[in-house]
Parts: sequence; structure tokens; C-alpha cells
Amino acid sequence: MMDAMGIFDMVLALALPWLGWRLLASPDLFRAMVLFISLGLLMALTWVRLQAPDVALAEAAIGAGLTGALFLSALRRLERLSEAERRLAFAGKREEEDEIPPERHRRAKPVAYGLALLLLAVFVLLLAWSLAQTPAGGGLGPAVGEQLGQSGVRSEVTAVLLNFRGYDTLLEVMVLFLAALGVWSLTRVRLPLQDEEPGPVLATLVRLLAPLMIMVAGYLVWIGGSRAGGAFQGGAVLAAAGVLLLLANVTVVRQIPAALLRWGLALGPLLFLLTAVVCVAAGGNLLEYPPQRAGAWILLIESASAVSIGVTLAALYAGGRPPEPPAQDRGGEQGPGRDADADAGGRQ
Amino acid sequence: MSWQYSSAALFLLLAIVAGLGRILRGPTAADSMLAAQLFGTCGVAILLLLARGLEWEVLQDIALVFALLAALAAVAFALRTWGGTER
Repeated sequence: MMDAMGIFDMVLALALPWLGWRLLASPDLFRAMVLFISLGLLMALTWVRLQAPDVALAEAAIGAGLTGALFLSALRRLERLSEAERRLAFAGKREEEDEIPPERHRRAKPVAYGLALLLLAVFVLLLAWSLAQTPAGGGLGPAVGEQLGQSGVRSEVTAVLLNFRGYDTLLEVMVLFLAALGVWSLTRVRLPLQDEEPGPVLATLVRLLAPLMIMVAGYLVWIGGSRAGGAFQGGAVLAAAGVLLLLANVTVVRQIPAALLRWGLALGPLLFLLTAVVCVAAGGNLLEYPPQRAGAWILLIESASAVSIGVTLAALYAGGRPPEPPAQDRGGEQGPGRDADADAGGRQ
Repeated sequence: MSWQYSSAALFLLLAIVAGLGRILRGPTAADSMLAAQLFGTCGVAILLLLARGLEWEVLQDIALVFALLAALAAVAFALRTWGGTER
């Protein structure tokens, strides 16, 4: 009944800020990470209650799933790094800390809190102002509904994202592409060198889950045409399959040729951009598809984007460009020096 | 939406809130992580209940994605934190 759902919403509304506060205040990084996963879950439920299933889907895939795995791996790396740093730079760090006099610390704190409060007040005022400005029961919903017939899809969100405001999505796909480029230009990925058989439990889990995830990713892209779903959600689930394979250190992952990964990364942005250019060249506006073929165009762009988003997110998790030498020989990252050594050893 | 579905969903949400105490108190990392996994299960159940109660099929998709990706965090935890092999 209405009452139980009213209490449900109240509990959500109270639990969410409390959880956020505990998460930010937690000194223990691991606990903060677990709280973040829980926050993602409550967030997704909140989006469902706010009648925004598209956002809930993205939150479920990225907030609760992918980010959790990313944080866990980052945490492990941080722990090892800080151990090494503590040994190396113990003396240097001490001096640096001493440079800031304690009385400046004491003065900085109220200023920081005051600024934060001021920003919060401005934000709340802006929210109240925009709420007062919004006409009741309006928004852009009715306008989108009127034009939905021309968009080629039946889902309003997909119609806006891929047709009416397609260039927004084009730019978003480009941002993800740039992020992956940035990470790839920094470092090369370090995969474990040895062939490590995953245990029977993990092997079975991967065998069951990875194909299922890929299938669901395809389903989400397809269903995006008529209800919640689409390239970002499908891509995130595809990335989850990639992260699972990376975690389990399956041999297949190391044998994927780097060229294939590069093309996978570029496929979505390239196709999207080509479509935009072709639409302009044909005399229309940017991304103005021919109305009778719009559905097919959107599905094509979404499929390509989902593949690229999946590869991008998995590559961001891996944290570097693919290893240069053919993986089946020695695997992992090895400099040219090591190769030369091995050759010399072979000749002797 | 009939009261059976909504009160069951409310009960599960309260179970999640109660589980938050386990995350905050620990004592071990595994306790916190298992509580988060319990949240995933409760979340899936809530979504399925709402999907039936509101007759809103999309929620089943969200539950499906939740169920799939909750396993990912568990695998990452088991391999990377819970005495996973040195990598």
C-alpha cells in the first residue's frame, strides 16, 4: 500500500545522506570502499523510486559493480606502494610536514569549513531558485513525446540521447576515448607473467558468468530502443566481463592482439563521428538521420559504442596500454633489453 | 501495488539498514564485504518485488544487472584482499 512505500522512501531518504557522511568520514579506506558499494545500491534503488530506470541501470552497473572491483584493486596497489614509500622516503616526508607551521593549520581549518558551507548555501539557493522557475508539470517531457514518432526508437531517453541531442552523446563517447588514450599514454599494463590456473571455483564462475555478461550486454543495447538500456549500460556490463577475465587472469586475455584492442577502442567514436560527418555532407544537420532509417542508424551506433565503451572501461581498469611483445611468448611487459638478453642466451 | 509486495520490500530495505552496522563494526574485512554482498541480494529481491508489484518490467533488467555485477565485486575481493595470491 501507499503507506509502506512512503516509509520505504523515507528510510531511503534518511539512509542515503547518512551513508554518504559515514563513507566520507571513514578513516579506513577498505571500509569506505564497502560503504561506497552499498551507497551505489541505495542510489540505484532511489533512482528507481524517482522513476528513472535508465540512471538506475547505469548506477547498478558502474556504481555498485565496476567501481567496487576497481577500488579493491587500487586499494591493494596503494597498500603495497605505501609500504615501499614508507621505507624509501621516511626522512624526506618528515621534513616536508614540518614546513607548515601548526598555527597556519589551525587558521586554515575554519576557512575551509566556511568556504564549504558557503558553497553549499549557494548550491541550495540555486536549487531553490531553479525549482521556483520550473513550470509545474512541465519540463521537456511533452515536447519529446510529441516528436518521438520521428526518432526511430520508442524509448524517450534513447531518442534524446541518440537523436535529438546526439552530439552530447558523441562528445561523451569522445571523453571516454580520450580518458583511455590518456591512461594508455602513461604506462603499459602489467599482467602477471606466469600461467596461473584459476582454481576450480573461479574457473567455473568465469565460465558461467562471462558469457552471460556478454549476452546481457547485447540485450541491454537491443532493449534500449524501446525501454531502459542502451550503449552505456551495455558497455558497462561488457566491461564487467572484461574485468572478470582480467581478474581471473585467463590466458585468452593475454592473447588478444593489441591491434584488435585499439580498433575496439576506436570503433564507436569513429563510427559516430563518420555518421555525423556524413549527415552534414548529405545536407542535413549534425547527426540528422533520415527519419525512416533512424532506428537502424541508432542501433548501429549504439552497438559500436557499446563495444568501445566496454573495451574502454576494461582498459581503464587494466590501467595501461597492452603489452608490446606477443603475449604467448613471454607474456607481460618486458623491455627490449630483456629480449636482447634472451636472444643472446639462445645463441650461446 | 498490493500491501504484501510493498511491506516485503520495506522489510528488506530495513534489513539493509541493519546490515550497515555490520559494515561499520566489522570486525574483519570479510564481514564488511559479506554485508555488502547481502545488500546486493536484498537489492535484487526488492527490485523483483517492485517489478511484480508495480508491473514495471524494466526493474527486472536492473535486478539482472545487479545480480551479475555483485559477483564481480565478490571475485575482486576474494582475489585481491582476502589472502589472495601475491600478484
